[in-house]
Amino acid sequence: MTVSALTRPGERDRLVVKFTQIDWTFVIALCLLAGTGALMMFSVAGSSWEPWAGAHLFRFGFCLILMIALALFDIRVWFALAYPIYGLGLALLVAVELFGDTRMGATRWLDLGFISFQPSEVMKVGIVLALARFYHGISAENARLSWWLLIPALMIAAPVLLVAHQPDLGTAMLIALTGAAIVVLAGLSWRVIGAAALAFLVAVPPMVMFVMHDYQRKRVLTFLDPESDPSGSGYHILQSKIALGSGGFFGKGYGLGSQSQLNFLPEKHTDFIFATLAEEFGFLGCASVLAIFAAVIFMALRTASLAHSHFGRLAASGVTATFTLYVLINGAMVMGLAPVVGVPMPLLSYGGTVMLTVMIGFGLVQSVRVHRYTEVTSGKGAFV
Amino acid sequence: MSEPSIFFSEVNERQGTFHRRSFLLGGFAGAGMLALGGRLAHLQILEAQRYEKLSASNQFNFRLVPPPRGLIVDRNGEILATNRPNFRLLVVKDGVHEPGATLKTLAHFVPLDDDRQARLMREFERTPNQRPVSVLEDMTWEQFSAINVRAPEMPHVTADMGEVRVYPHGGAFAHVIGYVAKVNREDLTETGPNSEPILLHPGFRIGRQGVEKAFDLDLRGRTGAKKVEVDARGREIRHDQDGDIPAQPGKTVELTLDVDIQNRALEVMGDESGAIVLMDCRSGDLLCMVSTPSFDANRFVRGLSTAEYRALADYERRPLLDKAMSGTYPPGSTFKMTTALAALSAGINPEERINCGGGWYFGGRTWRCWRHGGHGPQNMHDAIKNSCDIYFYQVALRMGPDHIARAAKALGFGQTFDIGIPGQRSGVVGSTEWKRTQVKRDPTWHPGDSVSYGIGQGYVAVNGLQLAVMTARLANGRKQLNPRLIKSVGGVEMPPGDEVPPLPFSPEHLDYVRAGMISVANDRSGTAYRQSQLGLGDVMMAGKTGTAQVRSYDGVASRSSDSVRWGLKDHNLYVAFAPIDDPRYAVSVIIQHGGMGGATAAAPRAREVMRVALLKDPEIRARIERPLPMPDVSDVPPVGQAPDAPIEGPPLAADPAAPT
Repeated sequence: MTVSALTRPGERDRLVVKFTQIDWTFVIALCLLAGTGALMMFSVAGSSWEPWAGAHLFRFGFCLILMIALALFDIRVWFALAYPIYGLGLALLVAVELFGDTRMGATRWLDLGFISFQPSEVMKVGIVLALARFYHGISAENARLSWWLLIPALMIAAPVLLVAHQPDLGTAMLIALTGAAIVVLAGLSWRVIGAAALAFLVAVPPMVMFVMHDYQRKRVLTFLDPESDPSGSGYHILQSKIALGSGGFFGKGYGLGSQSQLNFLPEKHTDFIFATLAEEFGFLGCASVLAIFAAVIFMALRTASLAHSHFGRLAASGVTATFTLYVLINGAMVMGLAPVVGVPMPLLSYGGTVMLTVMIGFGLVQSVRVHRYTEVTSGKGAFV
Repeated sequence: MSEPSIFFSEVNERQGTFHRRSFLLGGFAGAGMLALGGRLAHLQILEAQRYEKLSASNQFNFRLVPPPRGLIVDRNGEILATNRPNFRLLVVKDGVHEPGATLKTLAHFVPLDDDRQARLMREFERTPNQRPVSVLEDMTWEQFSAINVRAPEMPHVTADMGEVRVYPHGGAFAHVIGYVAKVNREDLTETGPNSEPILLHPGFRIGRQGVEKAFDLDLRGRTGAKKVEVDARGREIRHDQDGDIPAQPGKTVELTLDVDIQNRALEVMGDESGAIVLMDCRSGDLLCMVSTPSFDANRFVRGLSTAEYRALADYERRPLLDKAMSGTYPPGSTFKMTTALAALSAGINPEERINCGGGWYFGGRTWRCWRHGGHGPQNMHDAIKNSCDIYFYQVALRMGPDHIARAAKALGFGQTFDIGIPGQRSGVVGSTEWKRTQVKRDPTWHPGDSVSYGIGQGYVAVNGLQLAVMTARLANGRKQLNPRLIKSVGGVEMPPGDEVPPLPFSPEHLDYVRAGMISVANDRSGTAYRQSQLGLGDVMMAGKTGTAQVRSYDGVASRSSDSVRWGLKDHNLYVAFAPIDDPRYAVSVIIQHGGMGGATAAAPRAREVMRVALLKDPEIRARIERPLPMPDVSDVPPVGQAPDAPIEGPPLAADPAAPT
């Protein structure tokens, strides 16, 4: 099929054509990452599909189908649903504040009877959609510096404060940074960016000392000096570093990682699965996986830059920013560069919620790609 | 793409900004990934070796293997202290799991009542994480396997097999050997052998008393180790046989004691409180050293309950005190040989007679002889045989205390001996110098002090071991024999007790005193004739009775009242040696509050113990069992009709004077 063929009116709306427009290299990269995750779970379970590896692959399969289905949704559908999804997310966050389940000291879960889930996950996609939708409608001038910008500031602040109050600092930070990324991408004045960065730096130490919960402060302080309490809160960081370092260049071999196999490594199949990988496959394995992550990020960014609509561009890059933050934060945590926060390595770590969120986001990215030539207008009845 | 140009440029500006900034985002992501890659390279390439070591120290663990504690055996190799297998239940606290819940679960399988659980919880509070606490010892095989089967469900519980100390002869050696017990915090030191980590092993026991304490390091052996692969909870996954360092068992400690004599001594003491010490008077080896009442040392190994301990500590006959070494008593008349030797050395003529009328007025009071009717005129031999107090009062007064003290020191009083175990008390040997320095409220030696000194009362106190040494030195007649308790340690012979200087007494004087002792036991009028008959033919015993006052009898009608409370009765003593013609063994018996007259309580017991010692001696046995020399060669009966060798003396079984 030639490019000229696509230019025929209506041709791009055919489902089969849309299907071919999905970035299949991107899909293969995702499969590789999820497969690596399953491989490590198989290893740490003592060469068993139970309890994690099988479930992980099954979930990924389901999420992949969902992602492809979402990719075929017209970008204008996403556009139209942007504010409703954000509104729903916000409503759920308020609901969780009022009726949520408290598990392990944090109120994050909403029990709907048949399923319980974390509304903060909805907001991860919701904030991207809503901000993209907002910036789609305003001029470059207004996006740089104007009173209009109070609206995105509120849009970000509301969910961040609600989530931080749960308390789920990791997710709150992720939402805030994703929002900030979109605001910057949309063209915020560098002066404002500089001033905000400065304000942030000034605000962090008092935040740590006065606003955080004890366990959160302890995590941060332990991060600064992990050897101070090797069997207490510094344990996770130290054991993770031992797992990484002892892997060496080539790794200890598949199924031979003593740190993970003998349970010295905490959360070896979830948040710290990268350390398991590092121990058994060494620098070579880690660098390869990091390269695949980088490829996924750049393919997604390229998709964003291809889009003709501002909404598409911002939405795709917003999702990419979330994904990038996941990878960098988890990586830094596992390598002892950041405090232990409950941020998993997307696709690699075991856990359904994050995988669902990430794959829905990638569904949006692929939808942007499939519909990259589609013009989106903010007027009434603009979409089909 | 055919929008108005103004709109287009507007769109274009937004797009341009986005593109520039998305490059920035890409750059940020790329930089982040590179930073992660750099960090990975740092950890996995530059610092890999360091972390490999840390990983290995996580994965492999050297588990200490306690060495089997050395045996303690008697002179014939009979086992006095050994180890037996012990099925133990250990629980590890890890800071996450509540040990109380684990104990509740365990209580379903093994007996753990609430009291015990409460006690264990206190122990858990004191114990740091990851160190096992012994929850139950001496499980039955059924309990052991019941726990082992359920081990996978109870990750903090292990059932293992250790060793526990056992004393097969219970109380007979309790004071000499002592016992082992759990390690206390006070036992641990920063350096030296007591800083070794094996002391923290839950089954480890440390020597607390006697030989177990004195030779603790020899008996302890060298700790071994086994290399095991462990998981994060410290549970053993695999055992690497090649990495093992075998434990070296502790050395064997051989004592000079003899199980049979020791057991017989414990037996004849019955309920009495006191001590029996029997010594070889050629070599100085101690064959028997018993203190009664005794206690079962095995109870201490497991740990006594407070009630058990109180019962032992509060009993008025004081089972925990070693009366052979730590209890000092006035020697009473058993001291008269010392006074006699001192008198002979001081030049007093032993044939000079002093009249005993039952009392002697001196220094404003009447000094009584034990025999109220008096003994009549006594020379020194008679005075020893009859234990005449009047004679020794006057002799002692005449020569003064320093002569007596010199003789007493030479015979072993007022000193401790290096027998390898602690706990001896030297007692008192009075002299003018001693009183001047030691008795602050009355530092002058009065003549009256000498008078009671002469009969072993007043400023003199001795222990059972010293009495035995004194008797052995008298019997030996040549050497200042030292007692020996430890025969060898790990096969290395300890110095014998007979490489010592000679006694500072002339042989004639010693013969004279010994003759007195022979008369005590063998003249029909001797104070202990009836109680000193061994019934072993011409193997005969010599001895000396003793009674030590524990209160003043001035104004009390009779000393021999059986109705007085136990704690107010006199101490009853007897020292003896045998055979009289070629002394081999010396024995001392102290019966605390045994009543008046050494012959009644102490002498029969001394005889019993002496008999066992003599009968176990092959040379003596041969002498007893040898046929009598034929009276006349012409009387030889025809071949085939030779009569059985007649047994000399009363038959062994005949025992006219049972201990009273």
